[in-house]
Amino acid sequence: MNLDHIRNISIIAHIDHGKSTLADRLMQMTGTVTAREMKEQLLDSMDLEREKGVTIKASAVRMIYRYEGKEYEINLIDTPGHVDFSYEVNRALQACEGAVLVVDASQGIQAQTMAHLFAALEQDLTIVPVINKIDLPAAMPDDVAEEVEELLGVPAEDIPRISAKTDVNVEAVLHQIIEQVPPPTGDVNAPLRALVFDCLYDPYKGVIAYVRVFEGKIEGTPRLTAMTTGKVLEPLEVGVLTPAMLVTNSLAAGEVGYIATGLKTLQDLDVGDTITLAEGGATERLPGYQPLKPMVFAGLYPSDADDYGELRDALEKLQLNDAALVYEPETSQALGFGFRLGFLGLFHMEIVQERLEREYDLDIIFTAPSVEYRVNMTDGSVMTIDSPAALPEPTKITSVEEPWCELRIFSPSEHIGTIMDLVTKRRGELKNQTWLDTKRVEIACMIPLSEIIVDFYNELKARTRGYASMDYTLDEYRAADMVKLDILVNQQPVDALSIIVHRDDAYHKGQRLVSKMKEIIPRQMFTVPIQAAIGNKIISRANVQAMRKDVLAKCYGGDITRKRKLLEKQTAGKKRMKMVGQVEIPQEAFMSVLRLEEE
Amino acid sequence: MDSIPSPVDPFGLYIHIPFCERKCPYCDFNTYAGLGDLFERTVDALCAEMAGRRSRLGDRPVTSVFVGGGTPTVLADAQLEQLMAAVHASFSLAAGCEITFEANPGTVDRDKFGCLRSLGVNRLSIGVQSFQPEELRFLGRIHDVEDVYRAFDAARTAGFGNINLDFIFGLPHQEMAQWQDTLGRALALGPEHLSLYSLIVEPNTPLYHWVATGKTDAPDEDMAGELYEATIERLAAAGYVHYEVSNWAKPGSTQPPDAVLMPEYACRHNLVYWRNQEYLGIGPGAHSHLRRRDEQGRAVSRRWSNHKPVPGYVRRVQQAEPVEDFAEEVGPRLSMGETMMLGLRLVREGVERERFQALHRCDMEEVFAAQLRDLQAWGMIETDAARVRTTRRGLLMGNQTAALFLPDEAVETDALEAGQH
Ligand SMILES: Nc1nc2c(ncn2[C@@H]2O[C@H](COP(=O)(O)OP(=O)(O)OP(=O)(O)O)[C@@H](O)[C@H]2O)c(=O)[nH]1
Ligand code: SF4
Ligand SMILES: [Mg+2]
Repeated sequence: MNLDHIRNISIIAHIDHGKSTLADRLMQMTGTVTAREMKEQLLDSMDLEREKGVTIKASAVRMIYRYEGKEYEINLIDTPGHVDFSYEVNRALQACEGAVLVVDASQGIQAQTMAHLFAALEQDLTIVPVINKIDLPAAMPDDVAEEVEELLGVPAEDIPRISAKTDVNVEAVLHQIIEQVPPPTGDVNAPLRALVFDCLYDPYKGVIAYVRVFEGKIEGTPRLTAMTTGKVLEPLEVGVLTPAMLVTNSLAAGEVGYIATGLKTLQDLDVGDTITLAEGGATERLPGYQPLKPMVFAGLYPSDADDYGELRDALEKLQLNDAALVYEPETSQALGFGFRLGFLGLFHMEIVQERLEREYDLDIIFTAPSVEYRVNMTDGSVMTIDSPAALPEPTKITSVEEPWCELRIFSPSEHIGTIMDLVTKRRGELKNQTWLDTKRVEIACMIPLSEIIVDFYNELKARTRGYASMDYTLDEYRAADMVKLDILVNQQPVDALSIIVHRDDAYHKGQRLVSKMKEIIPRQMFTVPIQAAIGNKIISRANVQAMRKDVLAKCYGGDITRKRKLLEKQTAGKKRMKMVGQVEIPQEAFMSVLRLEEE
Repeated sequence: MDSIPSPVDPFGLYIHIPFCERKCPYCDFNTYAGLGDLFERTVDALCAEMAGRRSRLGDRPVTSVFVGGGTPTVLADAQLEQLMAAVHASFSLAAGCEITFEANPGTVDRDKFGCLRSLGVNRLSIGVQSFQPEELRFLGRIHDVEDVYRAFDAARTAGFGNINLDFIFGLPHQEMAQWQDTLGRALALGPEHLSLYSLIVEPNTPLYHWVATGKTDAPDEDMAGELYEATIERLAAAGYVHYEVSNWAKPGSTQPPDAVLMPEYACRHNLVYWRNQEYLGIGPGAHSHLRRRDEQGRAVSRRWSNHKPVPGYVRRVQQAEPVEDFAEEVGPRLSMGETMMLGLRLVREGVERERFQALHRCDMEEVFAAQLRDLQAWGMIETDAARVRTTRRGLLMGNQTAALFLPDEAVETDALEAGQH
């Protein structure tokens, strides 16, 4: 197709502002899917996405639309809104010339609205702002339009006000895309250069690369090369996404489509790599992506030590679809053989947990999440550690540095006080405040990453009645007075329960952890002391009182089988706990650090 | 495969009467109110089931009969006569056979007890549950405190010299004083036997629902423990022998209570269960346990139970269909575990080494070396040349102790569908 008739766009927005629903309407309007095929948030095809109503992976679709007598090809990429998956947005943007910025008319500009918008502007994309959900009673389309005008300089009256859900004025969005987003440029006759902006694993076709062709063309299924790795690909097929894969065996400059690469594992192909022809290919690759950096780390163990092999297999398979997931083997005295996993954030961790449990039917234990610390050793070397158990003895350490990030919070201004209180409590520092309008404010601050990965977002939501949103980016490492807090159960330290905390918080957190453990650990035959300690110093303690009595009162009437089964069940329940020094510790204990602040 | 029992081995017969005047909210027994229309057909069916069992058991003597439920005393005298006639027609009762009937103070009078006496019944188990009027109401009992005194008096007058009274403690918010008052009144009556149970909130009962929905508070486990220990002290002082977790009986001899391993007035029938011996259950939902030797001479057994719903049970018997609903084969290892699980409930007797050896043809010490060593180290059991039994601590932690003897997974158990035999 003539390049002038192609538009490549992403839909970006804060979480839940209606990206996927707008994509539904656009697909419907362009006849890409029939009314019969249509279902809500069609592009959210993973089970977990459908269940949580949240987009996790970006998806692409090609649409054909007639406008003023001409036929246009619009390649649309729906992106996730959640902060953990921002990398998906950035990748998608690089394949586009424009971005539709959706803003919820009842919520206005939120943290990820800004974050994603800035990412799009950085790529020089043309922004098409859209105000969605005007059907909501709480909608304030005019106010929000003004906020957007302030931000982008687009006249408020030119911004389409739509309802993706009830299908009001959606056509205006299509018109603006065609009128405002520039067509792609690129020489069809130059050597092939196609950017891999996403990869996924298909059980039948192997690794599928989603590509944006910038120059040249692919005709048929020629041998290709991935320029960074030098790997040669023997593609099975080439085509476009409708959103199902449709074989065309032809893709040309300016277009978006897929290549079934013939590769077997995702590790064989880097997202961000440039694909060219094996014979007569390009010499210079396109700019790629920053490698993904996990922010949060946690131990993962099978509940039943026998399942270690199964867990390893499951992680391998999961990684096929989730390139952001990294892991390596780890062992724990309390939990046995397991893995250390790296995640983009806590939501990502939650998703991985659910997928392991659901898709692989595994009973698993996660330990408390941790960030990555830099430890300056007395011998002058520097260690990076992401597990409390790995923290060397205090005598060998000169200093510990922890990651800080820049945190941006968007909120109605009446909550400034309580937000600042929260930020200060979590060791944060205010950088500046920007008024978005008379009622809403953006608070920028610096804060240790470890303080926001656990429980921060929930607390922020609770304090602002759900109105605040946040976004953060890793900034720098700063020296910190961090100590390892150990939990001793029945006098024995339980390595998987240790956490690294700031010395000032150690006392409070130790107390909370001890009382949490006291709640969680079932009463045993004997009294079990639970202690929190820093080094040799006990800072908090509590006892789980011995069980007073545990005996079946009645055992007659001949139904011995049932009584026996009851006892067997009791024993089986214990098997799901971890034995540490004769004490059974339930699995939830290992995650309880996540809920320390809950009352 | 030869059958184990010698003619003197205990063999219990249990007959289940699945009827009550009203269903108590805490009760999960297989018993129903308002089934008056079914009494006759059910009694016929019970008699027919007994007749059918006879051929399979030969004339092995029955050493105890227990007619329970439910409330057997809801049946008419003629029905009770019919039942006992069937017992005698189908089984041979050993000399001195214990014959127990359960009775509800609300469904008995002097005539009813007289009838039971005339039928050869020599032991009564009366469900009293409490002497506190408000507790009786909470427990949904059909009788009041006065009924209890009347019933006990009537039983004595009718000539019953071996009476058990059933009580429940550990009700939500029950205080020590209330329970002590109940105990005092019970002891004042001087029954030969007392069964004192801590209240269990059983699933599928109204009580369970009340607790789940917050209508009633759950019983306090710590308090129940306190009441239980106080009970142990008080009954010892009153001269009763604590012979099973929830059962006390008069020693019946001049021996000092401390030296008694098994009181004379212990319930012979229930001992069959706790000693992992054999029994046949008749009636809807009734359980049975019969033993045999496997190829290597080890004790294995079969446990089974009858179809539970009454109409279905009756129909099956009438149409000469199998009444079993559930059955499992208990392998040698599991059978040993059961012997320990059950025997450790016997506070004085415990598990006798010789009995274990005779039954399982192996040494308890060999099979359970690790468990016995650990439990002893934890102070849960005490052992001597003759027996293994629990300490006070082990008694209170009976479930923990018993569970150790059960195989990890009951791999040896196969649930079998009825009718495959
Ligand atoms: N009332 C109303 N609700 C809408 C509208 N558009 C979307 N929604 C609802 O808003 C919720 C979120 O919609 P999605 O389309 O999943 O939002 P999203 O931006 O794709 O969300 P993420 O991908 O998770 O970031 C859903 O319940 C939609 O039904 C609209 O125009 N009006
Ligand atoms: S009388 Fe006894 S068997 Fe009948 S319902 Fe009450 S507790 Fe259950
Ligand atoms: Mg979405």
